[in-house]
Formats: sequence, C-alpha cells, structure tokens
Amino acid sequence: MRSKLVGLTDAASLIPSGSTLAIGGSIIRRSPVALIRELIRQGKNGFTVLSYPAGYTTDLLAGAGAVDRVEAVYEGLFQFGHSYNFRRGVEEGRIEVRDFDEITQAARFRAAAAGLPFAITDALLGTGMAEHNPEQVKEIADPFTGRRLHAVPAAEADFTLLHGYTADEYGNVQFPLIRDADDLDPVLAKASRRLIVTVERIVPHSEILKIPTQTYIPHPWVEAIVEVPFGAHPLSCDGWYDEDEEHFAEYQRLSQAGEFDSYLDKYVRGPADHAEYLATALTPARLLELSVR
Amino acid sequence: MTSPSDYSLNELMVVAAARELRDGDLIFIGVGTAGRAFTLACGIPIAAARLAQETHAPNLAIYWNNLLSPDLQQIPEKLTQRYLTSWPTAAQLHNCSEKNDMLQKGRFQVSFDSAPQIDRFGNLNITAIGDYRHPTRRLIGALAQTDHFAYVERPLILTDLKKRSFVEKVDFITSVGYLDGGTSRADAGLRPGGPSRVITDKAIFGFDDETKEMTVLSVHASSSVDEVLAEMSFTPRLPDEVPETVAPSAEELRLIREVIDPRRILLIA
Repeated sequence: MRSKLVGLTDAASLIPSGSTLAIGGSIIRRSPVALIRELIRQGKNGFTVLSYPAGYTTDLLAGAGAVDRVEAVYEGLFQFGHSYNFRRGVEEGRIEVRDFDEITQAARFRAAAAGLPFAITDALLGTGMAEHNPEQVKEIADPFTGRRLHAVPAAEADFTLLHGYTADEYGNVQFPLIRDADDLDPVLAKASRRLIVTVERIVPHSEILKIPTQTYIPHPWVEAIVEVPFGAHPLSCDGWYDEDEEHFAEYQRLSQAGEFDSYLDKYVRGPADHAEYLATALTPARLLELSVR
Repeated sequence: MTSPSDYSLNELMVVAAARELRDGDLIFIGVGTAGRAFTLACGIPIAAARLAQETHAPNLAIYWNNLLSPDLQQIPEKLTQRYLTSWPTAAQLHNCSEKNDMLQKGRFQVSFDSAPQIDRFGNLNITAIGDYRHPTRRLIGALAQTDHFAYVERPLILTDLKKRSFVEKVDFITSVGYLDGGTSRADAGLRPGGPSRVITDKAIFGFDDETKEMTVLSVHASSSVDEVLAEMSFTPRLPDEVPETVAPSAEELRLIREVIDPRRILLIA
C-alpha cells in the first residue's frame, strides 16, 4: 500500500472543469462540502452531477454557476426547504436535469460498480422520466418472458467525491460503529473510476486493523484521501457533528432572495482555505454546540 | 363524540391514516421538504403509524431515513441528524440499495406519498410544473415515490385539497397511479397495485374498482361536498349519499397530544 494522502487544494486540482462528478452523502448529510467549496474557489465549472439525492452540494454548485447538468432522484434541502439556486437554474434554462427514481438511479450506480454497461428496471414504465428521456431510458423486452422493461445506462462518473469518517493514509475508509446509513456511498465508491475521499480524521493504519469489517471503502478504490475536519459543514456528519441550522437559515435566506453572491463572497471565495472558512462560519462555542462526539 | 372544534385537521388526518394501517404492515415513509410538506410526508405518517400501534396494529413497523423499525415509543425530541442516528432501531441497512431491493421485491405493504399535483386517476407529479425541459416551476424530482406506486401494495396519498393540485391530468407523471383509468396501468406493463386512498384536509377518496376514477368516500365534518368539489379541477365520482369522515375519538386525541407528539415536532405545519 502506498500513501494517497493529499491536501484539499491539490485534491481539487485533480478535477478539470467540465467533468462528470458523482457526489455522495445525502441531501443535508455527510457530503464532501469543503471539496466542493474548493472547486468553486478554483473557478472550476461546467460540471455534470450524478447523484442519488442531490442536496446542498448541487445547490451550492448551482449557486456558483458551476453545474450544467444534473441526474438525480431529488433536489432539495429536506426540512430546510427548496434548492432555490438549483430551481432557478432549471427554470431559467441554465441547468439541464434528468430525473430518475431511487431504485433506477441506484441500479445505474450498481451497474457501474459491477462493470456492466446498463441496468434493467421496470420502475419507469408509464412515467414521465421514460417519456422525456428517450436518450437514457430505452425500452427492452425480457428475453425469457417478453415482458416490457427499460434499460438505463450505468452511472459512470469521471470523479467520485465522498466525505467519510476516518481513514488511514492508504485510503482505507471506515464507518463508525453507530452510523446513519441513509446514503449510497458504499455503492458510489465501488462504481468510481477516480475516487477522492475527504474524511474527518486520518488515523494510524493500526487503528484500521482493529476492526477491518468497518472498512467500507478499501484502499484499491481510492485515488486521493484528504483530511478535512468539519469537511461536511454546514451539513451533519453522523457521529461527529449535527447540521448547522443557523447556517442553513442564512444560506436559504440569501439563495431564496437571489443574493447568493454575497454568500459565496463571504463563505466560499472569500476564505483562502478550509481553515479560514471554519473561522468565518463557526465560533469555537458554536463548534462545541454542533459536536456530538 | 367529538366535534370539529375539538381537533385539528392534522389530527383528523392522522386518525384517518391510522385507520388504513393493518397489523403487521411494513410502512415506507419518505422525505418532506420543509413546513407543510414535511408534516404531510413525515409528520402525519409517523404519528399515524404510532397511533395504529397503540390502537389496533401493535405489530406494524416503519422504514424512515434508513431506520428500519425504529422504536415508535421513543420518538426523539428533535429530528436533526444526531437524534436520528441515535434513535433505537431494529436495523440500519448497509446502504440505500438494500431498501430499494426490499421495495422492488414487494416487501412493503404501505407507503405514504404526497404531491403538489395529482389527477383523476391517481397519478402524481413531484417533478415539474409546465413543460419538463422548460418548467414554470421546477419541483423536487422523483424520490422513491415512483417506486412506491410501482411496487407497494397500498400506497396512501396525503395531500391538501386544492384546485391547482387536483387536476384533470398531471403535467408530468412521476408516480403511475391508474394511468388513464380502466386497465391502462396493467396494459402499460406495470405490476398490479396503484394508490389505495387519498386523505386530504377536506375529504377522503378511493378509486373506482372498474374505471379507476377518484371517488369520494367521505367528507370531513368541517367541510361539505360543495366545498370539496370547489377545490378540484375535475369532478370525482360521488356516491348518492356521502358519509361524514369518522371523527377522532377523545382517546385518539389524547394519544396524539400526550403520548405521540407532545413536543409538536411531527405536526408542525
């Protein structure tokens, strides 16, 4: 095993504008937000986002004008409301979107994970998703029974970006014992071509050896591993910190009002790096409040 | 007997939903995007599931946020991530595709669904208003609501009755109900199924066995047939005599207020 440890800036530098990104986490939980902020800081744009539920990260990219196309099962911010940046982008024709139901989108990632060209689904029969996406939803017949089905292409991304809990420098990423499993990260990791994982903490390899069944992303899948404490903020990272409801309120107020540039200036383009972001977005007292460890 | 001034419409909807749940049901509860949508998609369904456990279906279980069979006697005080992660639950499956397989294999008896647009044949739209590629209002996408209508035995729709929501034909079919009515759902290749009930703030609807048209089953005491029809862009089937929706009992109200949602984190809007 060789060390794959890199800094956040260098990790983001690997990703060219126009790439197709698979982004992990779930809506307002454990997405690689610091890495997305760094991409915006570096002026990258023209991305296609493949996601299971797209949430905060897609909306952030949309607010920075950095996303051209989204394929996902959901775009919104759960209890915090709509994805106003994304919604505006679609309604104004700047963002192209193709919708998939959860089963079909997961099947697309599972096909990619298995190295297969397409997945089979009967979830889209009769739906608008099939009617309005003939390029990606093709009718086929079950070769055994003749029953009508759809084929959908494997979800192949250029880069897969995930945020995790702990890892060693080789890229063995581990779950904590108690976690929320409401995401598709293990499948996204397996489906990746070039996988970048940010984690809350790099631990010694000896820590990983203690419970190897906790390793959900093994080192051969990983290209770069980055230590980014509070790397999902303002989202939650289950077992580490809660979502920052105050930050979300500010985010939603500015994005709904169409004043998102002021958010980007303050929190994304303004701070030179993640440390400066944390100093801008959080006080030590607030950090302790959000921490659940 | 209780009268409409004794209970809220949310409480009535909780009770109406609970009565549709059966002992042993496995119930899929989805995601709600803030305020009223959260109450309809998550709050009322969770409260209804717990109420049914307390009254007539002790062995039902829910799936929510990848918690399979969370202990409904221990609904947490808040619903932020911290509380969800530590909510005592029978299983946290490895990742969401486990749940997808469960859905596709037909392991769920009930799902709760809500939508800004629903039509005469119970098709739902949560994706886009207007033209799909140039929408006047982009909505949230599809979630698993497509899958609920494809694979769940008795999907329950919870939504407010509004003229702009109850339309002759949805702009986009996110979830296939009975498509164009009659046998069109089966003709399109879908598995048997389709929505079971539509529970609203004014009335409860079912679907005609033959034509699959939305049919008024009962109207709430606080409303009237005329008021119901005024809030719909199509005319549903109406029985000659429209019964009144059974009101919550005093005991059901006590359970909702004192036992199930004392902190008002479920019925928030």
